Formats: sequence, C-alpha cells, structure tokens
Amino acid sequence: MIRACGRGKRRPVGLGAIGFLVIIALVFSFSVAPAMAAAKAKKSGGDDSAWADDSDLFGGSLYQGAPKVADPLEPLNRVVFQFNDKLYFWVLKPVAKGYKFVVPEPARVGVRNFFYNLLTPVRLVNCLLQGKIKDGGAELGAFYVNTTVGILGIWRPSEREPSLKGSDEDLGQTLASWGVGNGIYLVVPVFGPSTLRDAAGKVADGFLDPVMYVNPTEAAVGIDAFKTVNNTSLRLGDYESIKKAALDPYIAFRNGYLQYRIKQIRE
Amino acid sequence: MKRLLAIAITVALVFPTVAAATTKNTTGPATEALQKPIDAGIALLRDPQYQTPDKKTIQRDKIWDIIKPAFDFRVISIRSLGRNWRQFSDAEKAEFTEVFAKLLGNTYIGKIQGEYHDETVRFLGEEKLSEDKVIVNTEIVRKTGKIPVDYAMYHEKNGTWRVYDVKVEGIGLVLNYRRQFDDYLATPGNTPAKLIAQLKEKVKAQ
Repeated sequence: MIRACGRGKRRPVGLGAIGFLVIIALVFSFSVAPAMAAAKAKKSGGDDSAWADDSDLFGGSLYQGAPKVADPLEPLNRVVFQFNDKLYFWVLKPVAKGYKFVVPEPARVGVRNFFYNLLTPVRLVNCLLQGKIKDGGAELGAFYVNTTVGILGIWRPSEREPSLKGSDEDLGQTLASWGVGNGIYLVVPVFGPSTLRDAAGKVADGFLDPVMYVNPTEAAVGIDAFKTVNNTSLRLGDYESIKKAALDPYIAFRNGYLQYRIKQIRE
Repeated sequence: MKRLLAIAITVALVFPTVAAATTKNTTGPATEALQKPIDAGIALLRDPQYQTPDKKTIQRDKIWDIIKPAFDFRVISIRSLGRNWRQFSDAEKAEFTEVFAKLLGNTYIGKIQGEYHDETVRFLGEEKLSEDKVIVNTEIVRKTGKIPVDYAMYHEKNGTWRVYDVKVEGIGLVLNYRRQFDDYLATPGNTPAKLIAQLKEKVKAQ
C-alpha cells in the first residue's frame, strides 16, 4: 500500500507530514498476519541455545549489522512520540477517515501518484549524487512517461516497464552512501522517526520539492497537509496495528525506522 | 533515449503483463509449505459465509489453525528473547511462547479481517541461506500498491519447513521485538514473569 510502483521503488510517503510517522506502519501491515498461530510448546529444531545466540541473529545474512543508534535524547523523543501519537489519533486520523469516506480509492491513489511524480527531482538528483546513472535515467524516463501518458503523473504506466524502475533515493541515503552515520535518533514533531542525518537530508531535499515554491506559504502548507491526509487515508489502521502489537511502541518504531532505512540505503 | 522512451511507452500500453512475466520464479519445498496455508487463509477471507460480524471469531480461529503449523513460534520466541531466554524457567518459556504467538495472531489476523479487499500474495522466489535455511520472497498485491514480505524458513530433520522470521518492507519481526524485550528486561525490577504478565494484559485488551 505504501508503494505505487514496483519492487525497489517506494513512494516518499514520509515527505508528507505525519505520513512519516506512519511510514513504518506498513511494516507489518497485513502480511505478518500469517504470523499468528498458537504457541508451540514442543521442542523444535535442535538446540535452543543455537537460536538464542546473539552473534548470529538470523542465520547468516538476514540481518547484517543489526542496527542500533545512539538515543541520548530519548526522554525528549518519547515526549514528541506521544505528541505525534495524539496528533494522529485526534487530528489526522479523523480527518483522513472523513476524506476516505468522500473520495473514492482510485482518486486517492491518483493523488498519491501525482505527488510522487512531483518529487522526481529529489530522487533524480540523489541517484546522480550516488553515481546511480542508470537509475537516474530510469527516474527521468518514468517522469516523462507518467507525466504524459499517465496525465501529470496520476497514473504510473512506467511501472509496467522494468527498465523504467528508478530508485527511491533521498539525501539521507546519499549521505549514508558517502559514509555519514546516523548521528543520533530523533523523533521530529509532526514528521516522526528520523535521525540527525536523515532529518538534515530531508530539509535539504525540501528545496527540490516544487510544492515548497508555491506562493503564499500558507498555500504550500495546505498542499502538504492535503498530501498527508490523502496518503494517510490509504494506510489507516497500520500504525494502530503496530502499536497494538508492540510491548514498547517507542522502541518498536525506532528500530523499525532504522531497519527500513538500512534496506533503502542498501538498494 | 528518445527511442527507448518510445519503446517503453509502447510496451507499457501494449503489454501490461510483461513485467509480471519476467519475474523469475524459483520455488522449492519451503515455498510450497508456505503457499498452501496462505492460499487456504485467503480462501477463508473470501468465503462469503464468514462476512457477517458474528462470524468473525470463527473465521479468525479457522485462519489461525491453518496458518499456525507454518510458523515455529518456539524458535521465534527464542530468537526474539536472545540471551534473555536463559533467564526463563521451562514453564515461563512455554507460557511466553504461547502468549507471544497469541499477541501476534490476534493483532494481525484481526487487522486483515478488518480490511481485506481482495489482496493476493505473489511468490517471487527463494534465496538459499544454507542447507536447511531459505528466504522466501513474496509480495502482497493490493489495489493501492505492493508490500514486500520475506519469510525466513528452516526445516527440521523430519523435513517440515517452518517460518522463523518475517520481514515486511525490510523490517524484521524478530529483531524488532528483541530490541523491545532487551530494553524491558534490562530495566531494574522487570522479570520474565512480569514480561509475560504484561503481554497477557495486551492480549486481553484486544
């Protein structure tokens, strides 16, 4: 649901406001579902201690460099996390629900695609900064096809052509590819989980977002809010599920964010 | 470039299925062991006789019964607790495994039940990790997009393949919980018994 396009390409959901908070919501989304099932009290495969070994978390390459990040601001971050949580339940969710009720799904997907297309400059520039010339070309090609055939990006015909699969790059990933570490973990008001590196990257990427150049500023903020409501309407329930399944939602989202970013950086 | 684009547009318009057709599919016994319960679960979600609110509990239990054998919740629990596992008594180990499975089950089956809209699961192939471990790559296809889901599976000597970890959008279940359990149990005053009680509370609140 978070993805409008094919494998390896993700919509920058996070670029909208709280959307970012919920980005990881996809996380277990519907699929871990199968993960239910009753307990297995019986002895399973071999020696228990082999599975409990911390050095080999997941049998080889499943979790290279299991991520950890410094979180010296944890007490403050937890307060902001609570604030964002309330913002979601008291403001964003009710609004997104009403919007979902009124606007049919295909239209909402079209709006999401439109905004995704609009952020091509961010992805293109970061592809180039990382030396991913081919992916950059694919982004450009996809932009061309989707803006014309897909009518201003509302549809994504490029998805059907494997050679037009770009790469969802941003400055945080670019910096990571240059060897810049996460710095510290941050929960940003309204935007949600981030790190010093990624938050800085996001601010800089903002200059490549056409919406930022809309005048007056109030209109730009309004457009951003609309985008957030729209994208959230396509993901309602995800945040709630993860929160419900977590022992400590703060840590669940912190680790989820880190894992998600590692996957993105690797791609 | 121009020519490439022309070709791309043509392909996009004329051969909408070309992308799907080019996905390489390598399957094996692990995929099979996973595909069967998932297909059966989806069939239950679609079954018209369970569409009324009063049938949802029956539907959930049936899905649970089908999916359960494909997962090894003991191993998932051990891996989620890591070193902490050794602090648990045998009774606590069994109790933890049961309540943890239930928490995951209730949360996520409930979620799919609440919003199932003809999603399908595509099996993309297998990556071999070692002789007895593979990763099965899948994606959930929704009208609004795709969600990649990878299942780490292993098999016992008797040959049954079962899931020991799940990654959704790159986020691994076991690692995510390990961080939470580590933090919880490192807090002074918290014990395995307290953790189990806490999880039970969460299940009850559902």
